[in-house]
Amino acid sequence: MNTVANQRRFSFRKIVMRFGFLIVFAAFFLFFAAWNPVFVQGQNLLNIVEGSAILIIIALGMTLIVATGGIDLSVGIALDFGAAFAVVAMKSYGMGWFPAACVGLIGGSLVGLLNAALVVGLRISPFLATLGTFFIGSSVQRIFTNGGGPISHRQMQDGFRNIAQGDLFGIPTEVIIAVVLVVIYYFVLERSVWGRQVHAIGMQRSAAIVAGIRVNRILIACFVFAAITCAVGGLIAAANIRMFTPLSGFSYLLDAIAAVFIGAALHPRGRPNVPGTLAGVLFLGMLTNGLNLMGLDFNTKDALSGIILVSALALAVAQRNMRNAD
Amino acid sequence: MQASARNQKHRLATIVGLLPLIIFLALLLYVGLNAPNFMTIVNLKLVLAQSLTVVLSVIGLSAVVMAGGDDVVSGGIDMSIPATAVLCAGIVAVMTGAGQPAILAALAALVAAMLVGVVNAVLVTRLRMAPLLATLAMFVAVVGITNVITERKRLNLNVESIAALRGDIAFGIPLGILIVAILSLLAWFFLHRSKWGLNLQAAGGSRDAAEISGIRVDRLVAQSYLVAAFMGFVTGFFTLARANGYSPGAQDNLLLEMVLATFLGAAFSPRRIVTVWGAILGAVLVAAISIGLKTIGVNVFWTDLIKGALIVIVVALSAISQWAQ
Repeated sequence: MNTVANQRRFSFRKIVMRFGFLIVFAAFFLFFAAWNPVFVQGQNLLNIVEGSAILIIIALGMTLIVATGGIDLSVGIALDFGAAFAVVAMKSYGMGWFPAACVGLIGGSLVGLLNAALVVGLRISPFLATLGTFFIGSSVQRIFTNGGGPISHRQMQDGFRNIAQGDLFGIPTEVIIAVVLVVIYYFVLERSVWGRQVHAIGMQRSAAIVAGIRVNRILIACFVFAAITCAVGGLIAAANIRMFTPLSGFSYLLDAIAAVFIGAALHPRGRPNVPGTLAGVLFLGMLTNGLNLMGLDFNTKDALSGIILVSALALAVAQRNMRNAD
Repeated sequence: MQASARNQKHRLATIVGLLPLIIFLALLLYVGLNAPNFMTIVNLKLVLAQSLTVVLSVIGLSAVVMAGGDDVVSGGIDMSIPATAVLCAGIVAVMTGAGQPAILAALAALVAAMLVGVVNAVLVTRLRMAPLLATLAMFVAVVGITNVITERKRLNLNVESIAALRGDIAFGIPLGILIVAILSLLAWFFLHRSKWGLNLQAAGGSRDAAEISGIRVDRLVAQSYLVAAFMGFVTGFFTLARANGYSPGAQDNLLLEMVLATFLGAAFSPRRIVTVWGAILGAVLVAAISIGLKTIGVNVFWTDLIKGALIVIVVALSAISQWAQ
């Protein structure tokens, strides 16, 4: 009798442990769908994915850095630099759209190089190093734009505009770019020796050094790779609104961190991982879209999504704790 | 021979360790030489008044860092203090604006602040969430709630007792500075000179060792978040007094300055740990630099760059001196 009750309790626990977050994900999905049928229409679901494209890209970069055991507060700066370099290259130097996009990526990589120099060269902790980069990068943008005015480029070439506005077989280009990056990140971080080494550094750095992993080289590569990824997000943002808006990247920072940690909590061993990050981003994207469709006012929507964010994170972490306790 | 080499190395480390403070003082001296008005009592008062909100919040943050350990990602950190401050400022501004007595408004704000503290404590000690993540998410949620309460509007202050924090003079010293000085002394006493404070530091220094010697680490960590929330509550009143009302968006700058001051403070301390004095010194120096640069006519856009460079230089120097030792 007792054992039966126990078993039932345990199986319930197991369900929560395994699917807790997914159940909440589904519950919100059904709730939004019941509230407004428009929510589940194909076009709106595509809107959710399209609206999350930049966040997915930023969150991928963040996943890589968190996997090394650090954190990157300057992802937004890399995004801004990517957008700024590309827009200025086209507008002031009359470059074609493809070289300009490459210039944007190079601009973003500068941010990664600075981070790498601070973290690897000067041995500053990633949090403080990237906070420093954040201050410096913000200031550079203000100086460059004389206070933070946007640089618009109305006559943007179609090629560049297509980065955000074009489509391939009806799928928006930005979604395709995001999916390609997700696949690349998945194979590099989860399915390659190099990815294993990154995780090893993040889990136990001294052991990684003893095992002969070239820690410094990998860390530099991670910071530069993450920054270039964020710069891709910057290209999309710039192509979308045909201008560079200084300091616009900051708004992605908290969401990216949240998505990565929701994803890490979903992982059996609590590691940041690409599929988990993707789930986290889609959850946040669904939340924003669903709350918008409910027709709430701006402030209420913000507060609700903040509260749901805290609860979702708490749930994801609780789920991991229960799993680890067994 | 060997001893003298070690001695020399030690001396080198000490000099490198003092460099952060020397750089700051040199920068201030440079400003002072270029702007004769800078090194005056009036300006000193201005600098102190400017730094009050940051000083109050760094006291809370240093309590949390001392209890949780100083690793920024996995150790103790409370990013939600500035959000708690604007929440309290918003509640007080809205309630007094609606004609409620100031005492009632303050009580409501205190309850709200303590709720934030309790949620932080539960997330960190019960759910074992990484403090950085938990408090960052709380920052977003609390700012969101504040925006609902205040409708993101600028609200003027009509409570004289709060405005007194800015204008009034007591015993020849501005009242606000006096109150913050007393609170700082209390914080120093409780965190650095009481048994509770020493237990707190032991908990942060080495969690396992503290637990083995019978210290209830989780309880201390939880208490540190309540202290932080309370300091956020106090900061709220000074935010109101300084801006003569509630203005939306004050939290972002406070967050950055709070983190900057606390970890700069750690670079000033001999053992490179976060201390109350170090953090307060950091807060005052950052305010002094900001005002000083403004006085000698440096473009405002450059101040962030200089702040960022300062973090990097100071933290790098402290890392190098630790490594040299």
